[in-house]
Amino acid sequence: MAGSWVDIPADSDFSLANIPFGIVSTPNDPSSHAAVAIGTSILDLKVLFTSSASPFLTTQIIPSLAGHEHVFAQPTLNAFAELGRAVHREVRAGIQALIAADTSHPDVLRDNAPLREAALLPQRAVTLHLPMSIGDYTDFYAGYHHAYAVGVMFRGPANALQPNYTHLPVGYHGRASSIVVSGTPVRRPVGQILLDEKPVTAPSRRLDFELELGCFISRANAQGTSVAVDEADKEFIFGYVLLNDWSARDIQAWEYVPLGPFNSKNFASTISPWVVLADALEPFRAAAIPNSTPLQGYLQEPKDKKSVFDIKLEVDLTTPESDTTTVCRTSSRNLLWSFPQMIAHHTLGGCPLRAGDLLGSGTISGPDASERGSLLELSEGGKKDVLLYGMDARTFLKDGDTVTLRGYCADGNGARVGFGECRGRIYGPSSN
Amino acid sequence: MGRRSWLPIATSSPFSLANIPFGIISSTTSPVHRPATVVGAHVLDLKVFAERNGFSGLEAIHPHLDVFSAATLNRFAQLGRPLHGKVRTYLQSVLADDTPLPQILRDNHDLRAAAIIPLADITTHLPMEIGDYTDFFAGIHHASAVGSLFRGPANALQPNYKHLPVAYHSRASSVVVSGTPVRRPWGQILLDPTAEPKIPTLAPCRRLDIELELGAFIGKANPLGQPVPVAEAEKAIFGYVLMNDWSARDLQTWEYVPLGPFNAKNFATTISPWVVLPDALEPFATAGIENDVEVLPYLRAENKQYDIRLKVDMKTAKSGEEATTVTETSGKNLLWSFAQMVAHHTIGGCNMRAGDLLGSGTISGTDDRSRGSLLEQNQAGRKTIGLAGGEERKFLADGDTVTITGVCGSEEDGLVGFGECSGQILEAVETPFFR
Repeated sequence: MAGSWVDIPADSDFSLANIPFGIVSTPNDPSSHAAVAIGTSILDLKVLFTSSASPFLTTQIIPSLAGHEHVFAQPTLNAFAELGRAVHREVRAGIQALIAADTSHPDVLRDNAPLREAALLPQRAVTLHLPMSIGDYTDFYAGYHHAYAVGVMFRGPANALQPNYTHLPVGYHGRASSIVVSGTPVRRPVGQILLDEKPVTAPSRRLDFELELGCFISRANAQGTSVAVDEADKEFIFGYVLLNDWSARDIQAWEYVPLGPFNSKNFASTISPWVVLADALEPFRAAAIPNSTPLQGYLQEPKDKKSVFDIKLEVDLTTPESDTTTVCRTSSRNLLWSFPQMIAHHTLGGCPLRAGDLLGSGTISGPDASERGSLLELSEGGKKDVLLYGMDARTFLKDGDTVTLRGYCADGNGARVGFGECRGRIYGPSSN
Repeated sequence: MGRRSWLPIATSSPFSLANIPFGIISSTTSPVHRPATVVGAHVLDLKVFAERNGFSGLEAIHPHLDVFSAATLNRFAQLGRPLHGKVRTYLQSVLADDTPLPQILRDNHDLRAAAIIPLADITTHLPMEIGDYTDFFAGIHHASAVGSLFRGPANALQPNYKHLPVAYHSRASSVVVSGTPVRRPWGQILLDPTAEPKIPTLAPCRRLDIELELGAFIGKANPLGQPVPVAEAEKAIFGYVLMNDWSARDLQTWEYVPLGPFNAKNFATTISPWVVLPDALEPFATAGIENDVEVLPYLRAENKQYDIRLKVDMKTAKSGEEATTVTETSGKNLLWSFAQMVAHHTIGGCNMRAGDLLGSGTISGTDDRSRGSLLEQNQAGRKTIGLAGGEERKFLADGDTVTITGVCGSEEDGLVGFGECSGQILEAVETPFFR
């Protein structure tokens, strides 16, 4: 792929091969609206599609967007998502064509100084917001190595996984209201914790992170209908983000029987701000963890199907003293279930999905000790110190710790498709 | 003696002048979704009423009249309880037969013609936009009965049950208004739950159940990171509805360990259309079930409930209009108040928003015909339930219509009720995935 006339550092997540979508507010326009990330810049799509260049763009380059340009002035990407994969594809390709070094349309943007200055802004000059309005958030549990490791901790190897685990993608409804964008501080939750067999009210002492991949739904299915697994793959997925499903392990242990995790999860979940479109990840498909259980028909994917993605994932823990340790390096291929399978299962009984719904993969861990996507696993249930740079150690998170999730794929030509940061800093409940 | 209206109100109507609930309607003359209240067999279209100076006698609402043009009640709910109370009292006053403001509506023939619509000419819609729906488990008699069925009486309740209001996040997108048909879901089920190894079958649900619940809508948001103290929590509530948390028991058994019920619940939840304000229920406040455990300070509050006479009626495809009452119980049969639920839900900093829905959990009394689920009545499938006309049921059959009603007070003082929370079961689709 040729380079861009926009300056894109070689190791940028936001290469020409990516073009992720987000919601920004800018110095000139404090109302939230759509943009894409390119290198260290953003391309303001509201500016672009309200400019005098817009008619040319929608007649010559992106005809399927004609009549729908207003979607980029909306405060969320939901209306854009609902236009469908074909439109997303054309818009993304159109933007790539516009910013390619060898663009066939240099006068639209590259050589159009006033428009270029209005539309191309440094990322550090803008504020990023939640990219979508999230009607429902469902968290799955498809990270096999995480589920197994945690199961061993609580039930021993023979009963580590429940009988249902390989038959259906286990999931639970999460809290939509407390999903925040990267950079939002995260308050250590107070809750009921069992201490010496008596419940007390206290700040959580076992605050954890969970490395997950998030998937945004692009369109609705009518209540009472189900989405087939291949249709889910082709039509229902808008794009992906990184997701940190912060967890309070002590609150969870006391509350979760029999109805599942609740206050242990609903105090905050953080997502990265740039939605990487499904098309951008196509070159990085990989085979999921093999499932030897015979699956029901609705969950079956073709035998050689590469149904997950090989995204290199990393978790950094930064202490209040500003020492950073990479505590986890793994791949998002370490999933037993694909998102299309999760969508098919979620809608099996007729549950309606809507554009903007968020699905979480579940904590992603790999088979190796260096690939553990939560402190619960890294500290082996809180029994082992996780050694950090700066002579420090952790079992669980301390006030002032920052956890940063990163993820990227790179093709042979070095073009990176990455997610930016999914970051949050913990503060104590007393420091409101 | 309850106040009478210049509109005719049958003494048996749940929508006496003592009520004044709020809902969202469309009409045969206009498809636009807009706020309304209901009195007897008529609705008052609040959009038209507001646009045509109906609120001229209530200065406090003048800066906010635009809330009555909204397609949901969320913006009205955000105005806060004092203002809701003033609006309710004002509407009672305008509709009373001894109204001090006859010129507003009673004697204003044009406005009456435009704003008063017979119930038969309107359709109700979901009254609020629901950002999150949380279902609690506060019906202790239900929890004990179900726990006992599965774990024996000694282990009926989990150790946490009396210490915290147990709850799970449920699915907002599948909450529907009364009258919406409910399609029997497909799912993975174990034909024989005791067989080893456990191999599931893909089939339509065979153990489709009801759950009689009360629903509470949040009106006042709290910011992320700022818990709502229990003494403040009641103020966060906008109003109440009836709820049927339809449940697929066989789907639940196979899926729910360890993360809780999922497809067993997310296919549909039905609510009644008229949101009854706390002010209307206040005369019927009473004590709920006493907790014999000393709860932690953040939960310490009176267990305030409402003495709502709840009823579940069933009609079948064969029975026509003839219904059997399968459940009669009281809304006070709860261990936790909604204020305690809100305090617990926000203790870690979770943010509630206007329009959020909380379910009480299945409400059951202690005797046979006071059970809010068929699972309890059929003793986990061992007993049949007799219906009028000689039919029998364990779980729901296709064509069954379940209607929940609830009412407080006396006809003399004016009944305060919810209308119907009703749904008919449609047969499962032939195969779940159309191509």
